[in-house]
Amino acid sequence: MGFGTYITKRLIVALGLLFVVTTLNFAIVHLAPGGPEAVLLSNPRLTVEARTAIIKSLGLDKPLYEQYIAYVRGMLTGDWGTSYFYLEPAFKVVAGRVPATLLLMVPSITLTILIGVALGILAARRPYSLLDRALSSVAFFFYAMPAFWLGFLLLTVFSLYLAVLPASGMTSVTGVGFNPIDYLRHLLLPMLTLTLVNVANFSLLVRSSLIEVLDQNYIMTARGKGLTERTIFYRHALRNGLLPTVTMIGLYVGFILAGAILTETVFSWPGLGLLTFDSIFRRDYPIVLALFFIFSAMVIVANLVTDIVYGLLDPRISYE
Amino acid sequence: MSKNSTRRLQAASQAWRRYSRNRGALLALIFLIVLVLAAAFASVIFSGDPEAPDLSKDRRPPSIINPFGTDYLGRSQLTLIIFGARTSLIVAFAAGALLAVLGTITGLLAGYYGGKIDGFFMRMADVFLTIPALPLILLVVAVMGPSLLNVMLIIGLTGWPTMARIVRSDTLSLMKREFIEIEKVMGANSRRILFKHLLPNQLNSIFVYTSLSLPAVILTEAGLEFLGLAPLSISWGFMLNTSISYWITGAWWLSFFPGLAIFSTSLAFYFVSEGLKDALNPKLARRRESLVAQVVAEREK
Repeated sequence: MGFGTYITKRLIVALGLLFVVTTLNFAIVHLAPGGPEAVLLSNPRLTVEARTAIIKSLGLDKPLYEQYIAYVRGMLTGDWGTSYFYLEPAFKVVAGRVPATLLLMVPSITLTILIGVALGILAARRPYSLLDRALSSVAFFFYAMPAFWLGFLLLTVFSLYLAVLPASGMTSVTGVGFNPIDYLRHLLLPMLTLTLVNVANFSLLVRSSLIEVLDQNYIMTARGKGLTERTIFYRHALRNGLLPTVTMIGLYVGFILAGAILTETVFSWPGLGLLTFDSIFRRDYPIVLALFFIFSAMVIVANLVTDIVYGLLDPRISYE
Repeated sequence: MSKNSTRRLQAASQAWRRYSRNRGALLALIFLIVLVLAAAFASVIFSGDPEAPDLSKDRRPPSIINPFGTDYLGRSQLTLIIFGARTSLIVAFAAGALLAVLGTITGLLAGYYGGKIDGFFMRMADVFLTIPALPLILLVVAVMGPSLLNVMLIIGLTGWPTMARIVRSDTLSLMKREFIEIEKVMGANSRRILFKHLLPNQLNSIFVYTSLSLPAVILTEAGLEFLGLAPLSISWGFMLNTSISYWITGAWWLSFFPGLAIFSTSLAFYFVSEGLKDALNPKLARRRESLVAQVVAEREK
């Protein structure tokens, strides 16, 4: 099978997953107590006429399968309902928050990968050394750490007592255009929170993947040839050991996303996470539904990209 | 006493010896036992309504009378944290049990029957692993209502795939062993092989993984409460939720102690799982691989 077929297959899987997510949304709305009317029309400001008009326009008076088809079509064409709070299309509200979340997640993921790979290499270079054991200890320390609590601790220390970093938001002044230094100052604490809770765990993955490779026969062959440990590690083991971590990154996006929802809430970072918090509080269900869809789409796309990168990097892959 | 039960007792005491050799695991177990007892007898230990506000004493820093300070309504935070342990522990044990049972059944069936059954369960596991769990849990709890039952069900329902994969791969390797082959040749039926051999032989690793999944369950549930979806009126995550508006006043104890409770409980479950690994599976322990790495690696496969 060629590379083209491999990508096509991955694309079909990704589309299938989006379809599953849409179906889940539909099912949850219909299984909710009070049904779709309670979920989608819980706006007290609606008049009776407006209510019947919405029921008609949503097709809630039609049979279930027709509603389902209409729902899937709506989701795929960007018609995600209307927010009660913003009184704007949910798609527009959610899409407007995507850049802020990316401005937090992309630097954090990059940092997690860089530090995680570096620490993983250090640990795998001398397994069971003091450094290696210290790293494992730190890893489970952060494995058990609630991201939002870590955020509060950092806030109290750096924004309140030391008063060196801003506590909330993405910029100090709005409407003056984008100021990179101001953004970085605001980014530092949430990014640190998000990176700390993920990096130790990620470095353990890199480590175990590298150690697995060091056990293989071709490394023994390299040793037999009399190569130095250094050459064996960096020339032979590293490349193969890091390959599997590429696919892990795709799944890690899901974890980082969960951390981002909580971290954004602590730092009032104006992204999707804060919108989640606010919309749950406001019972703005069309937004909560739209958020689940967009979060899933982000993870599905990240997985698709890592699958493709993996396919490009690994010549042995059979594209099955 | 029969020979069999003597042997079992011996095995148990050996396992306990291996467990107690791990200092961290021993301390964690003591901590959890104390916490469970305190939560169970909270109403006996603390007289009066823990939720009754006393606005004359709001936001007092830690003192001898109130070691964890008072919250924004003047209530003792120590009392609230002990009562709040109920939510975390109930959800942790119930959701943990649910994900263990679901993962074990699907993993056993997938590994034993293979073919279409395997394909079906493993594709389903893939879907659940790809769709981000926290947003799904948030959506379901927000729409269905944050009752204790809903929270436990949805955390359990989203948590089974990793367990299913571990059980499946253990089942596959057990199936290659001679004693299973012999059973098959001797005409044992599926139920006998599944429940007399395959299941008992991996109960240890099921226990270890279940205890390892509890920190994640506790963090997820606390996260839900922090975002405002609390099943009970007193809970650790919800205490952090209300502290958002007060950190700027310098009342650090409002968020510090509830967070510390979440952190130490989830860390304790992690240590217990490490101890269980040493105690129940000496072979695994000798490899000295960190459990987190193993499980995450399994999840990535």
